[in-house]
Amino acid sequence: MTLEALVAIIAGGLVSGSLYALMASGLSLVWGTVRMFNFAHGALVMVGAYSAWYVSNRGGIAKALQPIGKSIVANSEEAGALGGLLLPLGEWILSIKGGFGLVLGVPFAILCCGLVGYIMYVLLVKPFVGKPGADLIVIITTIAGASFMQNGVQVIFGPRYKQLDRILKGPPLQILETAIGLQEVLIIILTPLTLFLLHLFLKHSKLGLAIRAVAQNDDFAHLVGINVSQIYPLTFVVSSILAGLCGVMLGGLFFILPTMGAQELLFAFVVVVFGGLGSLPGTIVGAYVIGFIRESSAYIIDLYWAPVVLFATLIIVLIFRPRGLMGGEDS
Amino acid sequence: MTWMDEGFKIRHLVWALGIVIFLAIPHLVTDKLLMHLAILGMLYAIVASNWDLTLGYAGVFNFAHLAFFGIGAYTSGILAVKAGVSPWLGIPAGGVTAALASILVSIPAIRLRGIYVALLTFACSQLVLLLLLSQPLITGGQQGLTGVPQLQIGDFRFRESRFAHFYLVGFLLLCSTIFLRRLVTSDFGLSLIALRDFEEYAVARGIPLARQRLLAFLLSSIFPGLAGGVYAHFLIVASPDIFGFSLTTLLLSMVLVGGVATIYGPVIVGVVMTYVSELMASSAWMSEVFGISRGPVRFMFVAVLIVLTMRFFPEGVWGLIKRFSARARGTSNEQQSQSGS
Repeated sequence: MTLEALVAIIAGGLVSGSLYALMASGLSLVWGTVRMFNFAHGALVMVGAYSAWYVSNRGGIAKALQPIGKSIVANSEEAGALGGLLLPLGEWILSIKGGFGLVLGVPFAILCCGLVGYIMYVLLVKPFVGKPGADLIVIITTIAGASFMQNGVQVIFGPRYKQLDRILKGPPLQILETAIGLQEVLIIILTPLTLFLLHLFLKHSKLGLAIRAVAQNDDFAHLVGINVSQIYPLTFVVSSILAGLCGVMLGGLFFILPTMGAQELLFAFVVVVFGGLGSLPGTIVGAYVIGFIRESSAYIIDLYWAPVVLFATLIIVLIFRPRGLMGGEDS
Repeated sequence: MTWMDEGFKIRHLVWALGIVIFLAIPHLVTDKLLMHLAILGMLYAIVASNWDLTLGYAGVFNFAHLAFFGIGAYTSGILAVKAGVSPWLGIPAGGVTAALASILVSIPAIRLRGIYVALLTFACSQLVLLLLLSQPLITGGQQGLTGVPQLQIGDFRFRESRFAHFYLVGFLLLCSTIFLRRLVTSDFGLSLIALRDFEEYAVARGIPLARQRLLAFLLSSIFPGLAGGVYAHFLIVASPDIFGFSLTTLLLSMVLVGGVATIYGPVIVGVVMTYVSELMASSAWMSEVFGISRGPVRFMFVAVLIVLTMRFFPEGVWGLIKRFSARARGTSNEQQSQSGS
């Protein structure tokens, strides 16, 4: 293998590993705390990408606002004293033809995903918490939720592909004659930072500590005065935001379409089973390992056979360690 | 034991009446769309009721079930399009490949518990999809496999007749339902229920867990495989949409709304649900309210229906019917406990 190929595999592995880590850590966090599995996690990635696109792109909210801006400008003269105020507003609206950019798009995506995560918790998860067979029921309700969101987005935005702007524009980075796009570099750098922030949040903030306490033992967490019924939705919101960030990054790499996220969800499943559900370090290590296995098998064998290689790995791991590499005893 | 004789007679009467009505339907219904939906509905009913065996009776979180249907469809389709094999050989071949796939899935799945089974089986079905998409020369890729030949015997073409597909699929549904009902009331079915309800005790009493679960997967995959083959030749296309979230949700709703671990529930609701969802997609007021994209809206309704069912009627339609009929008879008879819910 040449050195260039090695660099390409490492870079590719880091990018896919980062994306899987963002997704899988959210899944693992929810499983560890609420003991539920969110099959709509992939749809949240899609929601993140679409909401960022809607605010940042010229075809989104900017386009929808243009007629409003025009009518404000046209009517401002008749409005009298208010017209002086309305005219700049209308002109400002007309001036944002190109969209608000990712500066507003990313925070909006975070907000949207957090909100959708909360609504999902209230509608799809909360009614079943504590009932027998709740884990199966929640799989079913979240599959229904994923179908609802996918089809809903298709109704709103249509089935046509969209693409997010790249955050950094410029020529790709050259490392040993291997070109690596700036978007990829950004993903490689930002993901560990995000995961480090998650780590700080879980280790040092009061809410993060509460999440970990509930994950370890809900009853005792209750006894020491933690409001468990508030921690559950909080966990869902945090995990949804992680999925949304993954969507923003994916949206800059590939096309955005209503069924995006399904394939990433598949790999995130492989990651959480591989690393052991509920173990955050296991999940993150697992994500990068799976990323590297995928990229190297794609390079050495064939892109389309990479999933098969992953599955073979997964099944071998499961045969020897049915709870994943770092999974605990509790299923 | 008079109730048994009565129940026996009534049951036979219901069956006979059902078959007479079934045979009469193509003579009475002339609307093409309705007939098309009836055939589609019966195909989905086969898939849903077989899913009930693993999901309902065995209590295994099996989310690879639609893959068996898809594998059947693609096997028969590819054999016919690429190798020129007669559909009458291709459809049984679909049943065989689906059965083989079910064994492959169940070998890792029976070692795992609860949530891990769901993850693994779901991942397996998506793997099948990725593999199908990766070979566009053979499978048609994202567009699906087109040009699948229709069924015919000699010069008699099935699509030109109003009866042929209906009777064929109806016969398949009948066989599948009798097979499943026999299975779940047999010792094998009871052992599955025992493993589901109290695994440790059932294993302690000598029920082989791995073997019964593997058999449950295997036996639940054959008819969906056959149905998949018929589906491909009926629609003359095999599409990767079979593996999507939308169809999974629709079929899941048939099992759940019909009632888990009942067989009859998914069969009846499977047909009804196909009608409702397709009519929803083609009705005029829907197009006025939602504009052009009616297809997606129908799946949104199905999704809402599932969540509401799980919330308010977890035992499904068949469970409600049974509860009401038990109340009407006013007795707690053994028949109910025997039919294994």
